[in-house]
Amino acid sequence: MGAYRADDDYDYLFKVVLIGDSGVGKSNLLSRFTRNEFSLESKSTIGVEFATRSIRVDDKIVKAQIWDTAGQERYRAITSAYYRGAVGALLVYDVTRHVTFENVERWLKELRDHTDANNVIMLVGNKADLRHLRAVATEDAKGFAERESTFFMETSALESMNVENAFTEVLAQIYRVVSRKVLDVGDDSTYFPKGQTINVGSRDDVSAVKKAGCCSS
Amino acid sequence: MQSKGTLKMLSKQELKSESAESWGHGSLPFVLEDDISKQALLLTELSKKVINMGQLRRIASQGIPDGAGIRSTVWKLLLGYLAPDRSLWSSELAKKRSQYKHFKEELLMNPSEIARRLEKTTVLNNDNGKSESRCVLSRSEITHGEHPLSLGKSSVWNQFFQDSEIIEQIDRDVKRTHPDLHFFSGDSSLAKSNQEALRTILTVFAKLNPGIRYVQGMNEILAPLFYIFKNDPDEEMAACAEADTFFCFVELLSGFRDHFCQQLDNSVVGIRSTITRLSQLLKEHDEELWRHLEITTKVNPQFYAFRWITLLLTQEFNFADSLHIWDTLLSDPEGPQETLLRVCCAMLILIRRRLLAGDFTSILKLLQNYPPTNISHLLYVANKLRGQPSR
Repeated sequence: MGAYRADDDYDYLFKVVLIGDSGVGKSNLLSRFTRNEFSLESKSTIGVEFATRSIRVDDKIVKAQIWDTAGQERYRAITSAYYRGAVGALLVYDVTRHVTFENVERWLKELRDHTDANNVIMLVGNKADLRHLRAVATEDAKGFAERESTFFMETSALESMNVENAFTEVLAQIYRVVSRKVLDVGDDSTYFPKGQTINVGSRDDVSAVKKAGCCSS
Repeated sequence: MQSKGTLKMLSKQELKSESAESWGHGSLPFVLEDDISKQALLLTELSKKVINMGQLRRIASQGIPDGAGIRSTVWKLLLGYLAPDRSLWSSELAKKRSQYKHFKEELLMNPSEIARRLEKTTVLNNDNGKSESRCVLSRSEITHGEHPLSLGKSSVWNQFFQDSEIIEQIDRDVKRTHPDLHFFSGDSSLAKSNQEALRTILTVFAKLNPGIRYVQGMNEILAPLFYIFKNDPDEEMAACAEADTFFCFVELLSGFRDHFCQQLDNSVVGIRSTITRLSQLLKEHDEELWRHLEITTKVNPQFYAFRWITLLLTQEFNFADSLHIWDTLLSDPEGPQETLLRVCCAMLILIRRRLLAGDFTSILKLLQNYPPTNISHLLYVANKLRGQPSR
């Protein structure tokens, strides 16, 4: 693998962050999606970890740059720097620990405080394979997601269930927002307040549209 | 391990260290001799009535040979847990160990036990007759403040529920400590009892330090200490490893505790300021690399150095290698922090060619998965960064 070599073969680069309480399985979702790996006993994430994977959306190559952050409260002040330039987020809770679902609201607030309003957010109920331990009903999470206008999916990083779908859906939605913006030149006032552009980052930033050339602000 | 493909990309200097690494442990006579002589030197030093700490630091900073329990004793000396005067050891150790036992009894008590004791004293004061019965409190006798469902701030139960959040966090992280080592992980009784010790130490620490409590990553700093002390061939030392580890952990953390404190993140002693010092150190010694990282590719040092510094490099190298790095960190008379920053800076300089050839993504991937390195060479380069900038 050319792990250290820059693979420049993409049309779009999107920064996506994984957030949620400690121990909900963020790192395993990331490793499942980017390396198809899962580990029952993985180390806790300190600071931030980072992985990429490219997928095809329509006829374009979309490269996802996914940031995995520490879950504990103490690290939030630091991790806020990692939100910069993010255009998508997977907000993860553990379906077997209700408290992690209760905290979703706080995570959502933090995310909205630090990122653009057009950020694509997917609420993810992970560990759905642990059926006998379920503590959060699918309907409750679905209701929450509808109220907050986020996407929603239940996943199992262990069984590789819906992981691909969750990431792909977020990336496809971001792509839709961005490509629509390119077509409409930011004129779609039903989606975006007048005069506001979608912050997918300037050229200097992490998430940048590589060839679309729309972000010359 | 390095694949042949990546080996091709190594600089000459790195190649030299790579091949030194591939010779392996002890397969070269001079490496073995070096270890034996170091071991002899350390044993001689340790057998003196009053240990010369300067001398000990000098030898230990080169790396302490595994085996014979030397590292266990030397680390305790370096952390100030053992006094240089050997005649004080047994009495001081006894005192500390009994103190730890006391902490455990005081702090790890179940709330119902506290409530029972409280009630017992109340009963003793009010009613002399019933005090001997060891029965559980009957509900009507519980004062409102101590009822489990009371949310009053004074309730020991309220404290208990707050604690249980921390205890769950500790438990999750203890289970995730060195999942690759049988000593810490798996279903064996050894792993189970070692995990229990880590859990207890972290819980006692959290309760004694309400301003910091438990912060993720403390488990990683605790693990090497406990591993070394528990594997001391001296049975008495091994048996008391938990207590000894606790005090050494407190001592080690005292130099770094500000990194774990959110309130201090933006202060001169907080983690951000330490990361900035690393950045300045790099700028002094290798401005081209500094410029490439921070200006050209915009790799914020927080993205990699946060973990390097907070965890004292325990997640960047294999376990044996991080022990070797710790020998050097703990030996520095100025305290571990300056050495740590030099080692971090050397880590960047050692792979400068690959970094200079990389973009944001490839640089970050490389720095978050630091390639296997000859540790002696890394420490040698780090040591050369002392004092004046080299260029």
